[in-house]
Amino acid sequence: MESPPRIVLTIVLTCITTPLQGLAQLSLNPDISVIPRFILETNDGEKLDDGVRQFSRPQLKFQELEMALQGYLNPYARADIFLTVPGPDVEEARVGIEELYASVLRGLPLDLNIRVGKYRVEYGKFNRLHPHQWPFATQPLAQTAFLGEEGLNDLGISASILLPTGDLYTALTADILSGAAAGEAAGIEDTTGRAPYYSATARLMSFLPIGDDGDLELGLSGYTGIHDPYNRDRFVYINLDFKYKYRPSSYTSLTVQGEFLHNMRKAHQNHDLEQYQDPEGTPLEVSIRSSGLFLFADFQWARIYTMGARYDWSQTPYSSDDRAQAIAVFLGYYPVEETLGIRLHYQHTRWQMAENTRSVNMIGLQLLFSLGVHKAHPF
Amino acid sequence: MIRISLLFISLLLPILSPAAVRVVTTLPDLADIAQAIGGERIEVDHIVRGDQNPHFIEVKPSYMMKLKRADIFIMVGMELELWAPQIIDGSRNDRLEVLDLSTIGVEKLEVPTRVDRSQGDVHRFGNPHYWLDPRNIRPIANAILRSLVRAAPDEEPFFRKNMAAYLATLDTKIVEWEELMRPLAGANIITFHRSWSYFARWLGIIVSDQVEPKPGIPPSPTHTAELIDLVKEGKIRAIVVAPFYDLTAPEKISAETQAQVIVLPTSVGGVSGTDTYISMMDHNVKTLYEALQP
Repeated sequence: MESPPRIVLTIVLTCITTPLQGLAQLSLNPDISVIPRFILETNDGEKLDDGVRQFSRPQLKFQELEMALQGYLNPYARADIFLTVPGPDVEEARVGIEELYASVLRGLPLDLNIRVGKYRVEYGKFNRLHPHQWPFATQPLAQTAFLGEEGLNDLGISASILLPTGDLYTALTADILSGAAAGEAAGIEDTTGRAPYYSATARLMSFLPIGDDGDLELGLSGYTGIHDPYNRDRFVYINLDFKYKYRPSSYTSLTVQGEFLHNMRKAHQNHDLEQYQDPEGTPLEVSIRSSGLFLFADFQWARIYTMGARYDWSQTPYSSDDRAQAIAVFLGYYPVEETLGIRLHYQHTRWQMAENTRSVNMIGLQLLFSLGVHKAHPF
Repeated sequence: MIRISLLFISLLLPILSPAAVRVVTTLPDLADIAQAIGGERIEVDHIVRGDQNPHFIEVKPSYMMKLKRADIFIMVGMELELWAPQIIDGSRNDRLEVLDLSTIGVEKLEVPTRVDRSQGDVHRFGNPHYWLDPRNIRPIANAILRSLVRAAPDEEPFFRKNMAAYLATLDTKIVEWEELMRPLAGANIITFHRSWSYFARWLGIIVSDQVEPKPGIPPSPTHTAELIDLVKEGKIRAIVVAPFYDLTAPEKISAETQAQVIVLPTSVGGVSGTDTYISMMDHNVKTLYEALQP
């Protein structure tokens, strides 16, 4: 993570230190919220190489601090800034920019919305969520394998239109991205110093109310870019996503959500991919197909309690033989609205890479709190 | 040929004839009032159901679609509907007129002098449940009328006539409700949330405390125990709860005291038989009256 420009820090400090001199003054400042996450974690995989399976001493780790600054720039546009201080090193952590973008919301022809900056791309449904918004403590394996630890988050320009589908909300969003995220995640790092190749995404989504208490969102996304800048090899991802939520009362809800990703790419032998060299040492061009999916359910049965389960299955961008599966169960406790959240997370993950199989059990107790403005939850 | 001409005219009619004013409100109460004024010459829809907590509405694309087609969006304001700006932005409707009824001069109660989260989920601009004092419906109706007239100036006489009839009915009911409740002025109640401040002030009822220790904060065992003592000492007869709140703590208080838990809707349709604002208020006043009887 790079440090943000000094001007951003100046804005942040000004916003924080400005006294609240009446409501008019308050309303001119951007909305500010700060959300840190910590986790007390143990797993039984650290000594597997020594043939020992035992849970490690639980460690309290700082995961991340996120600071959001959000507000209207003018009647037509708003800006959203999300600064992040990633863990686990509290002392040496550096401030980074998770998202920094402006959105033009009105005034454009065809009711077009435009977003410019660095942002979590609308690729699938899950990718837009920040980690504190997940009902569980870990990222689904397929997201990590195919999009990277930070998800698909890149510099770019996004345009979104609503399609004329009557009462049905149907939106088409397309993005041109700098391409840096492709190299950082499921691609080969470009050390030539050349500008990365652009990548592009698109998502078509529809929202369907089902009865008085249920809603379903369906999405189809595509993502293409250059994953090997040396051979100009392209990848194409196709992603299907859905989210169903049933909310019969204010404090009872069931959410079922999932995504399936299919990866298609050409790859050449190079310094990172020796497996694509034939016995004579001739570079081979191979065509790779691999996939990943996750599915979870989250049930809120009282105002302050949630529980759920998640299933992950994922191959990797460069191999359909390497694969991982995980089952997670999680419990959420929110004693004082959204200002404090405690999540207990158990996950069993099993990796199969070539002939080797490895499994790890992880137990985490995540703590997060939220200081500042509470925004309404989007579906 | 005649058939073809008739078909052509019938297809053109919806385009040539002026479209009804399309109104979307946050609460069904406001929709009911708007419908009473606009009659069949407006189309009215609302976002929140009467049995939903208006503070916590999920931002759904389907709500954005409602606003996309609307001419006027009417809201309570005072940050009751914190979700409304996201729906307005998501509607992509440049011509939408947003009517925030908290800006029309209704007297505001419980405007905080200090705003931070130690006070709970406090509303910066004061208690927003002002529609539960029926005397506030007159300025609300007038504001809605002005918006409708701006959208459809030719319909002003029709709208005015409807509004006059509606307010006359309401005024009659207000007198009836006030007469019914006059002997009970000064009675004490407990409410779950600070939803009933305007309602109680209008009827001269005293809200002694809330089941929530602070606005928006779930009931705690300590506070519930304090309330049990308060109810016993103050001879409080009613614990007023909106339909969307958890009844566990109120029923615990009720079980250990003489107080009765009564579920009163804060919005139209919150319980059966409350299909209009007037019928909802009628239900609320009469239910409270019964509960406060010695």
